Amino acid sequence: MTAVATEKARSAVAALAERCRPCLQCGQCRAACPQGLDMAEGPRRVIRLALAGDVDGLLGCQDVWRCSECNACTKTCPMEVDVAAMMAEVRQLQRDFGGPRCPERGAARVAAGLLRHTKTVDGVAFGAVMATRGFVPHDLVDAASQGAHRIARHLRRTPRLASPTNESTLFYAGCALDQDPALKKSTLSCAADLDLALGEPIGAGCCGHPAAASPPACLVAAGSVVTACPACDRSLAAAGVATTPLWQVLADAARRQGRKLAARAPRFVPYVGCLVDRDEALARLAEAAELAGVESVTTYPSLHAGCCGGLGGVYRGPSEEVLALVEFAAAEHAPIVTPCLLCRDNVRSAARRRPAGVTAWFWPEFFRAAPETSEQGGSDA
Amino acid sequence: MTAASRVLLCECAGTMSANIDFGALEKSLAAEGGAVERRRVWCGAEGQARLAELAEDGSGQRLVFVGCSGDSVAQRFSRLISQGLELAVADVREGCAWVHGDDRVAVTDKALRIARAAVRFPVTSPRAAEVRARVDSVVVVGGGVAGIATATELARMGHHVDLVERQPFLGGYAPRIGTAYPTNDCGACLPTIEEQSGIRKCLYRNAAVDHPNLAIWRRAEVESVSGDPGEFEVSLRQLPNMVTQDCVDCGLCEKACPVTGPDGEHKAIYSEVFDGRVRWAVDLDNCTFCGACAEACPVEAIDFTQSPKLARIRAGAIVAATGCDPAPPEMVAHLGYPAESVLTQIEFALLLDDWEERLWLDKPPVGEVVMIQCAGSRDLRRLPYCSRLCCTIALKHAIRLRELFPQTRVTVCYLELRTLGVEGESWYTAARLAGVEFLRGSPPRVEFDADKRPVVEVEDVGAGRKRTLRPDLVVLSTGFVPAADTGRIAGVLGARLDEAGFVAALDAKNRASETSAEGVFVCGSASGPKSLVECSIQASATAAQVHGYLTSTGRRRAAAPVVDAARCVGCDVCTGACPFGATSLVERAGDGIRPAGLRDDAKLAVIDERVCRSCGICAAHCPELAIAHSLDDETLLGRVRTLVEGADHPVVGFVCAECAGAAFSLAGLRRDRYPESVRLVELPCLGRVSALHLLEAVRLGAAGVFLAGCAEERCHYRSGDQSAAEQIAVARELLGEAGNPVPIEQWHLCAAERHTVGRRLRTLCAHAEKLAEVNEASDELVPVGSGEESS
Repeated sequence: MTAVATEKARSAVAALAERCRPCLQCGQCRAACPQGLDMAEGPRRVIRLALAGDVDGLLGCQDVWRCSECNACTKTCPMEVDVAAMMAEVRQLQRDFGGPRCPERGAARVAAGLLRHTKTVDGVAFGAVMATRGFVPHDLVDAASQGAHRIARHLRRTPRLASPTNESTLFYAGCALDQDPALKKSTLSCAADLDLALGEPIGAGCCGHPAAASPPACLVAAGSVVTACPACDRSLAAAGVATTPLWQVLADAARRQGRKLAARAPRFVPYVGCLVDRDEALARLAEAAELAGVESVTTYPSLHAGCCGGLGGVYRGPSEEVLALVEFAAAEHAPIVTPCLLCRDNVRSAARRRPAGVTAWFWPEFFRAAPETSEQGGSDA
Repeated sequence: MTAASRVLLCECAGTMSANIDFGALEKSLAAEGGAVERRRVWCGAEGQARLAELAEDGSGQRLVFVGCSGDSVAQRFSRLISQGLELAVADVREGCAWVHGDDRVAVTDKALRIARAAVRFPVTSPRAAEVRARVDSVVVVGGGVAGIATATELARMGHHVDLVERQPFLGGYAPRIGTAYPTNDCGACLPTIEEQSGIRKCLYRNAAVDHPNLAIWRRAEVESVSGDPGEFEVSLRQLPNMVTQDCVDCGLCEKACPVTGPDGEHKAIYSEVFDGRVRWAVDLDNCTFCGACAEACPVEAIDFTQSPKLARIRAGAIVAATGCDPAPPEMVAHLGYPAESVLTQIEFALLLDDWEERLWLDKPPVGEVVMIQCAGSRDLRRLPYCSRLCCTIALKHAIRLRELFPQTRVTVCYLELRTLGVEGESWYTAARLAGVEFLRGSPPRVEFDADKRPVVEVEDVGAGRKRTLRPDLVVLSTGFVPAADTGRIAGVLGARLDEAGFVAALDAKNRASETSAEGVFVCGSASGPKSLVECSIQASATAAQVHGYLTSTGRRRAAAPVVDAARCVGCDVCTGACPFGATSLVERAGDGIRPAGLRDDAKLAVIDERVCRSCGICAAHCPELAIAHSLDDETLLGRVRTLVEGADHPVVGFVCAECAGAAFSLAGLRRDRYPESVRLVELPCLGRVSALHLLEAVRLGAAGVFLAGCAEERCHYRSGDQSAAEQIAVARELLGEAGNPVPIEQWHLCAAERHTVGRRLRTLCAHAEKLAEVNEASDELVPVGSGEESS
């Protein structure tokens, strides 16, 4: 770094330290973090480094890239320090001053390379977004944008939905759902079976995460939207758009109508990753299991089962926690069910690493409304 | 007026002659019309003798001493002053000669102004308020260990004491917590009184609370308090016990009772063997009055014909010893409480007793226990404070648990262990040696796995990794909150609460046993969580304070301000402003003097001279200028005018006579130089200053104004600094409207900050002068208030 950059970094760290003065170093942030077990040092130590004015330590800290911005740390902090914002600012610090050490730049480089050969998801789409938003080294911009164009062409071939009507619920799945026609089909048919018309904003594109860009104008205008991705939720919330999780809408519809559900398997392992409303999401999964008469297996090896690996918007391989979860599901002979689009893809990626397959299903793929005449919601998988 | 004064001019052995021309000063003072006596030194034997002569000559002449500061005068002439000498002081030494340069003309002029202000504008001499004997009786509210100890101590001192306890049993929490820090025996010991042998007496034994001067009111609550400090009338409401003294403790009633309370704790007739005197009582909230117990009683000791009793008792003082409660469950809901496997330390104390009984089973009841310190405490969204006791309670339980069941794993998740002192540290060491694991880190929540087993995720800060604990039992070291009824009782007693809802001490450092209400004292955990040791110490302190209060015959010499009935409109501003509740509104006499056009039902403010401490805040706030303080507006403004008028860019300082006054006179002794343009006006309290005085100072030509009072939030009259800040804001607004940028500063000073006085003054003077020069250069400045405000 030049002397000027060093000075700038130092004053940025001093400003950070000012905001975490009340910190008691109690460690609740790391304990509450879904990534806490995977982290080398954790948010508490990031704050400690900031308080100590250790610029070099902060620029070299890899843990900030494990943050999925679920805000669990900020919510739990007894001294009301905005820990998640701190982590985000340290990431920015690394982007600005970290040079080659910044893993986001590295990840973008990998993503740009992958884009040339892959057109399926596994988080690569996020890499594409990052590439088009400028988080790539200059020499790779062309390759990255070619990949992005390929995906765009692919999207054009995918059948489109009608525009939302007054009766339908506006459903937005960002970059993920569009790329998987099968997933899209089962999502929509599950909703339709529950008498729920999902309308999709055509051509809405990326939610803006992780590049901190604005979400699509049509969503901002709509004011509220149903989503299935915490990254989308975060971007939309920043723009003042209210979001309702899809799992909640579907579970509400089933409950309101007193409908039984059918499930693909007699038992399943619920997984909610970093979702902000983890407890609520788990409770709704358990409720769905009850409506379908299937068993929800919750004797996890660890409590939160960690983050799926979609860290900071870039998929960089499965976390230790998710690998353990996949092993656990394999031993239990049960598929993993998640209410999050990102988790579903990333858990599938993790599952591909082991020879005997473990399936990961998105909520509407696994559950659907049971036929009205059917008394029992059994397995048809 | 001046002819009745005699000026005693002191040269201080020539130490002031460098910059004061005493010849000129004497001549000018003589021109004021009174006698002037000049001496090289007044505090020597000769001077003192002359002073004694003057004090006793019966001429009624007012003596004005022109020399050193009030503090120095009080020290030098202490003997004569204690014999009744009254001296008005004009400080030309620490406040003038010793702190200024060699401009002889300017310094002499300033000295003359200081002396002239004291001569021309005398302050009404304060007189002692009327002495009224206080009722020799005390009501102690709350029968926990603090209340019992205070009550027995006061009874021992010979005062009559009424101890009022809401529950049927005395003792509060102390008898319920098993053995206690630091002595490792039960918490309910009391000191013996002279008639008893031994040094301690057990609360469970009858004689512990026996004293002829002590009346105990069980199941009683204070409903209201009327009267004045020193002669309160306290209304009590007492519920009947239903079980009479004939009871032989057989327990047949409890067996016969068909009703169990909602918490499943006890039957509707129950026993707690806590204080030896009353063993059985009827739980009136749950009893269905079926009579089954009365039928079962072999001695007819159950009397359902008893009814609630109202009583009015007189008391000279009241002690609030209402204690504290463990934090409510919602403070620790995030930690899984309440649940079968999540307990508080208080609950765990009872469980430990239970386990001890079953020790013969030879199998530990639990394999792993996790204790969570600061549970719900030191958290801005829950209890922001540290409750002080929880660490030692946890250590005690952890050690006891390890001793009972050495196989049980005990982990204490802590943030900081606050075990102060020799005893505390040795408990901490003992716990580590006993095999308790200490994990630094605070879990954000407690969850449960499918088998309902608690799961605790915590960062092990020392090891720098996150750990998942799966104990059989989680014990929460919850903090403490004020006892449920504290707010109501404080309201009845007129005592203020602190921000956490505990009874606020009158002064945290010096008057920890007194409250904002005169005659109302506080003891024990009512003013914040306290250990048994601290409760015991404070009980003695409070008893001594109460004793001093009841037996005191002298009253402070406070001249209460006088309300002018011809100006007061009954607007209520003064009652809100008075920090001691000395002002109130009363009905006006029909035929009394009243302002023209006043509504018929308008009231009149009165000031209770027994409560008033003479700070002058009411007078500063009165919008009708209807309140005359002993330092009235005429005198105050007259002094300002004498000191300021015609001076070159004067900087006017209003200095309180307490902390800031000390800082200024000590700064004078240090001989910190500052410009002679500084003109000091001494006030009893900064609260005496009103916006009017500030505007007048500016109108008279002040280039800068400062108000120096006590350290932040340490006003000797509670709210004088806030009052001054409000008045400054008003003055600034008015000056701002007039486009007059005279700097007005408020300083918080204590005597320890004397070294900052010179620097502050030099900086302000330089700043004020620069501003004034800029203003003069830029336009022909019209002084503020030269129009309507001067009227």
